[in-house]
Amino acid sequence: MADSSKSGAQLNDAIGLDVPLKKYSEFRRTVSVFFGRPLPVVGLVIITIFIIITIFGPWMAPYDPIIDMDVMNSLAHPSSEHLLGTDELGRDTLSRLIYGARTSLFIGIVVIGVSTAIGVFLGLVAANSTGALHHIIMRITDGLMAFPAIILALLIAGLLGGGLQNIIIALTVGMVAPVVRITCGMALSVKENEYVTAARAMGAGNLNIMLSEILPNCFAPILVMMTMGIGSTILAEAGLSFLGVGITPPTPVWGRMVNDGYKYLLTNPELSFAPGLAVMLVVFGFNMMGDGLRDALDPRLRGVV
Amino acid sequence: MEALLNVENLKTYFNTYHGQVKAVDGVSLYVNRKEIIGLVGESGCGKSVSMLSVMQLIPTPPGEIVDGKVIFDGNDLLKYEAKGDIMSSIRGGEIAMIFQEPMTSLNPVLTICRQITEMLEWHLGMDAQAARARAIELLKLVGIPEAENRIDAYPHQFSGGMRQRVMIAMAISCNPKILIADEPTTAVDVTTQAQILELMKEMLERFNTSLIIVTHNMGVVARYAERIYVMYAGRIVESGLADDIFDNPRHPYTIGLIDCVPQLGETRITRKLVPIPGLPPNLINMPPTCAFLPRCAYQTEKCRTGPWPPLRPVGDQHYISCYIDTREKK
Repeated sequence: MADSSKSGAQLNDAIGLDVPLKKYSEFRRTVSVFFGRPLPVVGLVIITIFIIITIFGPWMAPYDPIIDMDVMNSLAHPSSEHLLGTDELGRDTLSRLIYGARTSLFIGIVVIGVSTAIGVFLGLVAANSTGALHHIIMRITDGLMAFPAIILALLIAGLLGGGLQNIIIALTVGMVAPVVRITCGMALSVKENEYVTAARAMGAGNLNIMLSEILPNCFAPILVMMTMGIGSTILAEAGLSFLGVGITPPTPVWGRMVNDGYKYLLTNPELSFAPGLAVMLVVFGFNMMGDGLRDALDPRLRGVV
Repeated sequence: MEALLNVENLKTYFNTYHGQVKAVDGVSLYVNRKEIIGLVGESGCGKSVSMLSVMQLIPTPPGEIVDGKVIFDGNDLLKYEAKGDIMSSIRGGEIAMIFQEPMTSLNPVLTICRQITEMLEWHLGMDAQAARARAIELLKLVGIPEAENRIDAYPHQFSGGMRQRVMIAMAISCNPKILIADEPTTAVDVTTQAQILELMKEMLERFNTSLIIVTHNMGVVARYAERIYVMYAGRIVESGLADDIFDNPRHPYTIGLIDCVPQLGETRITRKLVPIPGLPPNLINMPPTCAFLPRCAYQTEKCRTGPWPPLRPVGDQHYISCYIDTREKK
């Protein structure tokens, strides 16, 4: 054979590689690409800061968010005493913001995690089954998508009542349908690729095909949906709270804080802007991190490492 | 000696909106141990579909294997469920298949290592470390330099020829008894083509594997195949030993195929290349007569009225599906 006489370096040129490939573990490749770009790192830093705030909130917050009501000092503007001012009941906005991070981030992450897991599973099952099962899953999904997510969540929250757990259930149901739809669509198109047939010809079973051929190739849009979803979940929770079925009032939540503050938008804009900015930062952080992760996890996008 | 693979009267139809497409309509062929056979025909004549049917990889619906037997090692494969465990262990383990497009036959998001070791784990139950060592060995065997480093690369970091080598490494990894190569060299350039074919031949000898080359390239089969099946419109129209078919083609279609292959040393003056006139027939609503009839230069009254002629022997292991004795006519 002609090739075996050639040296490795020549062949490197022949196949278009100018750097000799070193053995890298999958993890190190992903990490090095992820940290090689500025925006994902910014995203990661933002998320990390918020997570630290979530964990160490009680020690960081200057006041208690619920019982420390400085009524004499209500609707105060930012000062050295209250860095972000106080709300109508004289509660410290910064403290409420810090405690609010716990509930809001928790809701966002849990809802997205659960709905993605369920949605991806159902989507893959639907894509890999023909006939009745496929139609049952997809028609129910279509049915769910016919309702605006907020109406659906409102309905479920109304039926189950308020409270953290029920809000999470209500929002999850609303988020599942689009994930099923996207996963199923992607899986159906990935399934037509020759490498899936090739894998079958090599003896891959159904489960192998689903998990190692189809799922990894559907990953990019799912990851993007997840990162976008966290922001919209936090906002949807705000909507539910505004309509009176969300987290019960004294508990600080960002969404509710935005809503409560809007009455004083002209006199005390920081009441709405501070939690709004927090939501924006979290969403931005997750989006950047998501994009970075997508690029770092997809071998075609990260180039030769 | 009993044949290793015996395909009998295989029929695979596709149901489309325009009607039933009889992509494979009664194909019978056999493969002996350590034999290389060629399955030749134009695009769309049912070569690939018949091989996919053997592997039960026909997408159903719209496709359906309506009739026939695929006897492999004494068992009829068509009795097993297409997506069942038995078929999965036969595919890749006993009968492996290489596809036409090396650029798209590998999963883009898994490393080469993972794709080879996966197979070894499924079929041979190897643990990860042993599988990795074996994978490196296989890559060396198919002539990939620096296999130790290259194994963790992704398919897009390989060229077409290299990927086809990886496919071959995967196909032989579990020591299958039969390798089906579906146009293995169509997508690579001529130099690589020769290398790939030589490599496949070398691997077959090493692992005692039989090979079915599916191709439209007469040159490839002439060089490698021991026996040839010529397919036209879903049926075998001529079969026989390779030398026989090339020296003494008997079916008008085979004669046409060989006439349109340029030969070394020929000039335009000594012989013109003769194309086969017309196009292959639409496989929907085929006429009952011979499908090659409209393009045939030898046709007689019997051809126009009779049904598709059955295969008849015209020599040692040589069969044609034609009423006419083309030797007399010419």
